[in-house]
Amino acid sequence: MSRLKRHWKLVLPLGVLALAASVVATASLAASGAKAKEVRVAIMTDCKGTFGFGYEPDIGGALAAFAQYSGGKVKNAKKPSAGMTGITIAGVPVRIVGFGCGDDTAATAIKETKRLMEQLRADVMIGPLSGDEAVAVANYAKGKPSKTFVIGTAGSQDPTLQIAPKNMFRYHGDGAQWNAGIGEIAFKRLGWRNAAIVMDDYSFGWTSAAGIIADFCAIGGKITKRVFPPLNTTDYASFVQQLPAPDSVDGYFWVVGGTGTAASLTAFEQTYGRIDPKQHIGNLFFAFLGADKVVAPKVVGSYVGGFGTGPGLKTKQAKAYEAVVAKHYPGLNGGNYADGFVYNYYNAAWGFIQGLTKANGDLSKLAASMPRTLKSGYEVSDAGVVKLDANRQAVQDQFPLQIVKNGDAISTVVVGYVPNVDQSFGGLFTKSSPPPGRTQPACVKKKLPWQGKIKVVRNGVITNAVIK
Amino acid sequence: MTGTLHRPLQLAARGLLVGGIAFVLLYVLVIADPSPDIGGNWRTTTFGSAFDDWQSFARTLLNGLTFAGLLFIVASGFSLIFGLMRVVNMAHGSFFLVGGYLAYEVQQEMTGAEGGFGILGEEVNTWEWVLPALVAAGVIAVVGLGVQQVFLRWNQGQELRQALITIAISVIVADQVIAHFNGGIASSVTWPGWSNRLISLPLLGFDYSLARLVVLTLGVSVGVALWTWLYRTRTGMVIRAGVDDRQMTSALGINIQLTFAIAFLVGSALAAVGGVVGASQGSVAAGQDGQWLLNSLVVVIIGGLGSLLGAVAGSLLYGLVFSFSAVYLPTTGDNCCTQYSIVFTFILLALVLAFRPQGLFGRAG
Amino acid sequence: MRVDSAKRLTERALAAIAIALAVSGPFIFNEYWVGFILTQTFLLGIAAASLIFLSAYGGMVSLAQVALYGIAGFALGNMVTTEGKGLILGWNPWLSIVLAILITTLVGFVFGAISSRSAGIYFLMITLTYSVIANYFFGQVTVVSGFSGISGIDLRAPSFVGAEAEDPTRLYYVALVVAVLVYALLRFVRRTPFGLALQGVRDEPVRMASLGFSVPLHRTLAFTLAAFVASLAGILYVWWNGQIDPATIGLQGTIDLLIIAVLGGLGRLEGAWIGAFFFIVINNYVRDVELPLVGGSFNTIIGLVFLAIVVLSPDGLSGLWDRAWGLIRRGGAGPDRPAVATGTAGPA
Repeated sequence: MSRLKRHWKLVLPLGVLALAASVVATASLAASGAKAKEVRVAIMTDCKGTFGFGYEPDIGGALAAFAQYSGGKVKNAKKPSAGMTGITIAGVPVRIVGFGCGDDTAATAIKETKRLMEQLRADVMIGPLSGDEAVAVANYAKGKPSKTFVIGTAGSQDPTLQIAPKNMFRYHGDGAQWNAGIGEIAFKRLGWRNAAIVMDDYSFGWTSAAGIIADFCAIGGKITKRVFPPLNTTDYASFVQQLPAPDSVDGYFWVVGGTGTAASLTAFEQTYGRIDPKQHIGNLFFAFLGADKVVAPKVVGSYVGGFGTGPGLKTKQAKAYEAVVAKHYPGLNGGNYADGFVYNYYNAAWGFIQGLTKANGDLSKLAASMPRTLKSGYEVSDAGVVKLDANRQAVQDQFPLQIVKNGDAISTVVVGYVPNVDQSFGGLFTKSSPPPGRTQPACVKKKLPWQGKIKVVRNGVITNAVIK
Repeated sequence: MTGTLHRPLQLAARGLLVGGIAFVLLYVLVIADPSPDIGGNWRTTTFGSAFDDWQSFARTLLNGLTFAGLLFIVASGFSLIFGLMRVVNMAHGSFFLVGGYLAYEVQQEMTGAEGGFGILGEEVNTWEWVLPALVAAGVIAVVGLGVQQVFLRWNQGQELRQALITIAISVIVADQVIAHFNGGIASSVTWPGWSNRLISLPLLGFDYSLARLVVLTLGVSVGVALWTWLYRTRTGMVIRAGVDDRQMTSALGINIQLTFAIAFLVGSALAAVGGVVGASQGSVAAGQDGQWLLNSLVVVIIGGLGSLLGAVAGSLLYGLVFSFSAVYLPTTGDNCCTQYSIVFTFILLALVLAFRPQGLFGRAG
Repeated sequence: MRVDSAKRLTERALAAIAIALAVSGPFIFNEYWVGFILTQTFLLGIAAASLIFLSAYGGMVSLAQVALYGIAGFALGNMVTTEGKGLILGWNPWLSIVLAILITTLVGFVFGAISSRSAGIYFLMITLTYSVIANYFFGQVTVVSGFSGISGIDLRAPSFVGAEAEDPTRLYYVALVVAVLVYALLRFVRRTPFGLALQGVRDEPVRMASLGFSVPLHRTLAFTLAAFVASLAGILYVWWNGQIDPATIGLQGTIDLLIIAVLGGLGRLEGAWIGAFFFIVINNYVRDVELPLVGGSFNTIIGLVFLAIVVLSPDGLSGLWDRAWGLIRRGGAGPDRPAVATGTAGPA
C-alpha cells in the first residue's frame, strides 16, 4: 500500500484513465439504432470567441418559443442552457439534445455540427450564430438532405444566395439587408452627399458594408474612400489616418465589430477631436452585440443600421413577442429582447414548430412543410408576416435606429421603417454577381424598391410620413 | 540563411537585406506618390512620400511611437520574466485581459456608472483612472506570484514544461473570463477627462492626441523605472546577475528564489498595467489575451529575450512597422494593399529571425 | 533486461490488438465512432506524429505543423474544386494530391532553412510566427481562400476514397493505412544514418558540428520530412472535413495539436495517436458540465486536464507507461525519473 502511496503521481492518473476508459468503451459500442419515436433538436450557437456572450440569449430565445408554443417546461429561468423538457409537437415528443459551442470560426462550427448531428443524432439544427459558421454549415447541409437546418442569426449572404441547400431556412435578413434605409437617411436627413466607410476586412464586414454602400449610392451618394483594417488590429490610428478629414467629407460609415468598435472610434477621436454624431453612422455594432455599451455614450444622436428588430416599437405584435420572452425567461439578455440574438433564434424555433406541426410530426415531410411565411414580432408589412423567397431566405422589414439620451439613460430607438427588404437588394446581389468584398458592390445609382418609401417612426409608432 | 554554407551566399543574403531596408526607407521618404483620383500603381500610397506630405509622415511616426509605448509596457514584463527565469509565460496575455477587466469593474464602481455603459471622459478624473490601474496591477501581481510559487518554482530549467503549464493556465483563465466578466463582452476603461483633447505641436505644425502622448509617457516612464531598478539598485543587480549566470548567483549565497518571485511579481503587474492602458485605448474582450500574447512574443522575439534594450527596440520596430505599413503600403486601386499590414509585419519578423535568430539584442544561445 | 524485453513484448501485443480493433472497427463500433472519432484520431495522429518526430528525434518542438497541414489542405482545395471560393482550378485529383504534397514539402524546406539556426524556445517562437503568417495569409488573400474557406473538397476526392458523407468507412481505412505507413516510415528513419545523425544533433550539436556534420542542414531536412508527413495529414483532413478555413490553422488549432502531442508524450511516436484519441474523446464527452464553485464550461475542464497531465506526467500518457515499467524494473524502489527529459529541447 505504501508503494502505491509513494507513487501516487503514477497511480492516480492511471486510475482515472481506467475509469474513463470503461465509460468510453460503453459509449463507443452503443449501437446507433433507432430509438422510440422522438424528434431530436440541437441548438448551435457560440460560447467562445467574439460572440461567446450570445450563448444564453440565443438559447433563451429559441427555448422561449418552445415553451410558448409546444408546452416546453423551463428548467431554470435564469439559465436557458439548463435545458427544457416536455416539448411536444403534433403529439410527437421533441428533445433538445445539445447546444453547440462555436467560436465564430467555420472550423469549430463544423466540428460542433458533426457532434450534434452525428454523435447526438439531432434531426434538426437551429443555428448557427455567425456568418462564416453558416457558410460552413450550409455546405454541410447540402450533404445531409434528411436533416433540417434553420439559421440562427448569421448575417452572411452565401448560405441562401449562393449555396442555398433545400433543407436550410433563414427567417431573418442577412447583414446587407439589415442596413437597408440607413443610406437614404444619411442622404436625406443628414444631407450627406459623399462619405467614407471603414469596414473589418472579412466577410461580415464586407457584407454589412455592402448593404450600406448599396443603399447610400443608390440614392445618389458617393463613397469616396473605403478603408479595411484587418481583423485583430489593436491600434487603428494608422487606418483612421487614411480617412478624409471631417471637413473634407460629409460623413463616415463604421462597420467595425468586436473590440474594434471602441478602438476605432477612440482612434478617430484621438486624431480629429470630438466626434460629431451627425457625421458618424454605424452598423448594428453601434447599438447591439456588446460594443454598444462602450461606444454609445460617445455617439449619442448617431443613426445606426438595424438588426431587423424594432426596439421600443409599439405595435401589438411586438409587445406580444416581448411579453412571451419575458414570461419564460425574464431578464434574458439584460431585458433587451429586441436584440437579434434573441429575436432571430426565437423565430427560427417558431418556424420549426410550425413546420413540424404541419408535417404532423413526420420528419421526412419537414423540409416541405416549413412555413414560407412567419408572423414575426417586429414585422409590420403584410399583416406582420415575414415571407421566404425562392431560396428560403426571408424578405424582412428593416428598422434603422438612432441612439438617444433621455436624461441619463441612453437607449436605441427606431426612427425608420423600411418595408419588405429582399436579399437581392432590388436585383443588385444575385447568384452570379460578385460577392460583397473590398471593392464590391461598386457605387452605383439605382432605384431600390424601398427608395422613397421609408416611413418615419416616432416614439415607437409608425407614422404615415415618409423620410424626406 | 543556411549559415554554414559558403561566404558568397551569406554575403549575398546580407546584401539583399541591406538593400531591402534601404529601398523601403527610400520608398517611404521619397519614391512614393500621392494617390490620383482613380487607379494607382506600385508607387501610390495614401499620402505620397514623406517628401510630398511630411506632416502625415510625422503623424504616422508619432502613431508608431505611441503604439510602441503600449507594446513596451506589456512586453517588458514578458521579457523580464523570460530573461531571468527562462519562463515563457504564455499566460501573460491572460494577465493583460484580466487586468483590463478588473480596472473596468473598479472604474464603473467608482464613477457610479449604471448599466455598464462606457463613461464619458468628462466624468472621469485622474484618480478614477489611477486607482483602477493600481488595483488591477496589485491583484494581478499577487495572482502572478501565486502561479509562480505553485506551478513554476519546482520545475526550474524545464522550459518547455513551464511553457505548457502556462498555456494550460491561459486556457483556464480564458474560459473563466467568459464565465465571470459578462461573457467576455468588450469593455473599456476611460481616460481622465483632461487627456481627451488634441494639443498643438508647434514644431510639427499639427494637433496631436494628448491621450496618446500620455501612453508614450507611460511607456517611457516604465522604461526609465525599469532601467533604474535594474541598473541602480541592489535587487536589480541581482536580477542582472541571475540573467547572466543563475547557478553562480545562487552559489554566491544570494536568495535567487526571492529574486525570481519579485521579478514575476513585477512582470505580471506590468502586464496588468498594459491591460488597463489597452482597455483605455480601445477595449478588452474575450480573445484579446491571445492577441496580446502574440504582440508580446513578437516584440521580445525581434528585440531579443531577456534584454531591456531589446524590449525597447522590439516595441519600436513593431510599432513603427505596423503604423507605417498601414499608411505607406501601396494603394493600387481599391483592393490593395494596406489591409496586409499585419501579414507584412509578421513577414518582417520572420526575416529578423532568419538573420538573427536570437533577436536584435538577445544573446546567442 | 528481461523486464525490457517483457515491456517490448507487451507493447507489441498491445499494438497488434489495437491494429486488429482498428481494422475491424467499422464492424464493431457505431458509425459516429468510425467516421468522427477514429478517422480523426488517425489523421490528427499523423499531424501530431510529425510534431513528435521533430521533438523526439530532432529535439525541436515545432508549432508550424498545423500551418503546413493547412497549406496542403488549401493547396489541394484550390486545385481540385470546380466551384465556390478559391482558385477553383478543377485539376485532376491525383495530380493535385502530388502537387499539394510537393508544395507543402517545399514550403517546409524553406521554413526549416530559415529556422535551422534557432533552437529550443526560439525555435518554438519562430514556428509560431509561421503559423500566424499562414493564418493571416489564407484569411486575407481572398483569391486563394478568404475567411470562409474552401468547401466541397470531399466531393472531388479520388474514387477509392469516395465522399466522406456517403461512406465514411473508405476514408477510415485509407486514413488507417496512411497512419500505419507514416509510423513505419518514421521508425525506419530513426535507424538510418540520417536519423542517427539527427539524434546526435539533438543531443550534442556542438560535438556533431565539430565532427563535420552540418547541424542546420540536418535540422532543415528533418523539418522537411515533418512537412511531408504533415501534408499527408492535411490531405486526409480535407477529405474528411470537406472544407478548410483559416481558423483551422489559427492559434487555437496550433495549441490543440501541441496539447495532443504533450498528452500523448513528446518522447514517443506512439504518443501521437494516443494523444489524438484522448483529446478527441475528451472534447466530445466532457460537455454539459457544471463546475460547482468556479463556474466556466468544459473548456475549463480541458485546461485542468492538460494542466494535470503536464504537472503530473510531463511525458504524457506514454511517459506514464514508461514509468510504470520503470517501476516494475526497479521493483518499486528508487526515485522516479522521466523517460525523456523535458528540459530545454536542445541547448538554448
